[in-house]
Amino acid sequence: MSSENQDFNKTKAFLIDMTKCTGCRGCQVACKQWNQLGAEKTEFFTGEGYQNPPLMSEYTFTRIKFRDYEKNGQNEFAFYKEMCMHCNEPACASVCPVGAFKKTKEGPVTYDAERCIGCRFCMVACPFGVPKYEWSKALPLVRKCTGCYSRVKEGLKPACATTCVSAITYGNREDMIKEANKRIAARPEKYLKKLYGSEEAGGTSVIYLTALPFDELGFKPVTKRPLPSYTWQALRLVPGIFLTVGGSLSLLSWFNHRKERIAKEEEQRKSGATPKEES
Amino acid sequence: MTAAKIIANEIKGYHRFVQFLIVLVAVGALASLARFVFGLGVTTNLNDTFPWGLWISFDVVTAVPLAAGAFTLGAIVHCFHIKKLEPLVRPAIVTGFLGYSLVSVGLLLDLGQPQRCWHTMVYWNPHSPMFEVSMCIMAYTTVLFLEFLSPVCEKFGYHVPLRLLRTIEMPLVVAAASISTLHQSSLGTFFLIAVDKLHSLWYNPLLPLLFWISAMCAGISIIIVEATMSHKYMGQPDEGELLETLAKILPWVITVYLTVKFFSLFALTQGPLFNRPGLLVLFIVEVAVGMILPLVMLMSRKVREDNRLRATAAWLVIAGIILNRFNVSMFGMEAPGTFYYPSFIESLVTIGIIAAHILFFVLIAKYFPIFEHHPETVDYSIPDHFHKTEKGHAHGAAKA
Ligand code: SF4
Ligand code: SF4
Ligand code: SF4
Repeated sequence: MSSENQDFNKTKAFLIDMTKCTGCRGCQVACKQWNQLGAEKTEFFTGEGYQNPPLMSEYTFTRIKFRDYEKNGQNEFAFYKEMCMHCNEPACASVCPVGAFKKTKEGPVTYDAERCIGCRFCMVACPFGVPKYEWSKALPLVRKCTGCYSRVKEGLKPACATTCVSAITYGNREDMIKEANKRIAARPEKYLKKLYGSEEAGGTSVIYLTALPFDELGFKPVTKRPLPSYTWQALRLVPGIFLTVGGSLSLLSWFNHRKERIAKEEEQRKSGATPKEES
Repeated sequence: MTAAKIIANEIKGYHRFVQFLIVLVAVGALASLARFVFGLGVTTNLNDTFPWGLWISFDVVTAVPLAAGAFTLGAIVHCFHIKKLEPLVRPAIVTGFLGYSLVSVGLLLDLGQPQRCWHTMVYWNPHSPMFEVSMCIMAYTTVLFLEFLSPVCEKFGYHVPLRLLRTIEMPLVVAAASISTLHQSSLGTFFLIAVDKLHSLWYNPLLPLLFWISAMCAGISIIIVEATMSHKYMGQPDEGELLETLAKILPWVITVYLTVKFFSLFALTQGPLFNRPGLLVLFIVEVAVGMILPLVMLMSRKVREDNRLRATAAWLVIAGIILNRFNVSMFGMEAPGTFYYPSFIESLVTIGIIAAHILFFVLIAKYFPIFEHHPETVDYSIPDHFHKTEKGHAHGAAKA
């Protein structure tokens, strides 16, 4: 779980400026190399556009989505780097029964494969559909972008951010948001006046800047409230409910049985018989 | 005769339906073996879009409320002290115990790393509804097991443990009701995290409360159905009069459920309700056929007094709750344009689990005194200074 008073301004975050992305997919390759991920046999046009592979998977932690659209009668491409958002208050970490997911103080949300029991609740809970499963294995585990935590905690940048020449910036979340707003202010005609990730799911460590409306790029509309709070508002009542139900039922049965017990004892005293002799 | 021969002979004597059940269970066991050998990916239709399928939707989310008879009835009989319903308690406890054991089997099958299931006891995350449910299911299965030990001890004439069990009976009933309240409702909490996934016809902050109340409806209905069927097919005594009392309680619970449901639907739901015609139909069927129709039926005395009509109404409630759980955990979670259906092996396993439940119930009823509710005929030859086994008391009620 993330600690409630963590200062998310100081955690590291990605600023992904998709107007600067050329669709080279260098980040995709760098991610595979750094994380030693296997290749996937794919075909073109199995997904919605030119992107390849068609979906994130156990072998693909990040992927560039292609969107073709028309601008002034010209065919244009828009790109969108899909990856784990490293939420400030991650749904995956809150629902995992064994606490396999953790929000680190550096920012990345990590996954402890040794703990996971494979219930796949994290996959159901993640609002961005990020965790993937090793469906190919007999004893599968969850796979997702690690935020290159092993690099970040040594002061390095994630592999994908290191490879990218222009579109990915990596630094303190506060600075990334400032930078993003500066870019919007400098070129208001170019950018959409919205940062995806600044508030989504209570804020994430991946901030997107685009020229196209987010839903056209396939961004999911996501609540602004941190997701763990939705379940916690019910779960925090658990001890209280347990004590209330247990207590009132005990009282109730004590009262209901008392009358009868008294009558019984009265009767026995009168007849002078003990239950042992009766039976 | 060797033991194997005795067993074989015994099985030959069974009714054909029971033999058929044995075959189904065997097939289900083979199918789950295949799942462990080849893995989830090959044997199920689950994938990254549908990480949860039939096993979670039916074997866990639906089976848990269907096993709710034990806690509902235990509370009604012992806490509210409606003693005439007591003969129904034992069958309900057996059903509950079987139900939960099979829920655990279903969960284990669905886990990707079943050999690590003990992790839930070591690595705690109290923020997870899954953690809470698994803890509760473990605790509750233990409680039900202890309650179930009574008829077993009676059968073999173990008097000392029996006395012990009777002493802790009341605390067990209270514990059962409190633990059930928690995990029945927490199954609803599961889906509170699916804010942008579960359709607003079902998503609302009162989901846990709704799960709890509907579990009580399911519990009462299951008892009615079960008693009617064991009267009809297993030659057990007709509990019609007792079931009438239950059939009087049931409409009240349904009314409370519907009130909360409609209140949360119209006052607390955010997001569009009518944008998915398919889901709307499912919702209407669930509420109209599965709740309102039996409610109307049970309001008439004629239905309550007629064994067949009463059981029909109870069946409708059960169907409504099954549909509700599928709606919440499966249909309502599917994004437009996507579709999941269970694979052959998934279905075989689930059928096997259902068959196992009926089979074990029939066998337990055959060999253990769960319908004979007069333990005072048994001789507890230990001096009774604490009035634990007074005459006229059916297995240990009326003690505080
Ligand atoms: S995007 Fe999903 S997997 Fe990543 S941290 Fe957020 S909830 Fe977890
Ligand atoms: S699949 Fe593993 S990581 Fe995901 S919630 Fe379950 S135990 Fe946690
Ligand atoms: S942060 Fe690391 S693991 Fe995540 S997408 Fe980039 S390279 Fe891959």
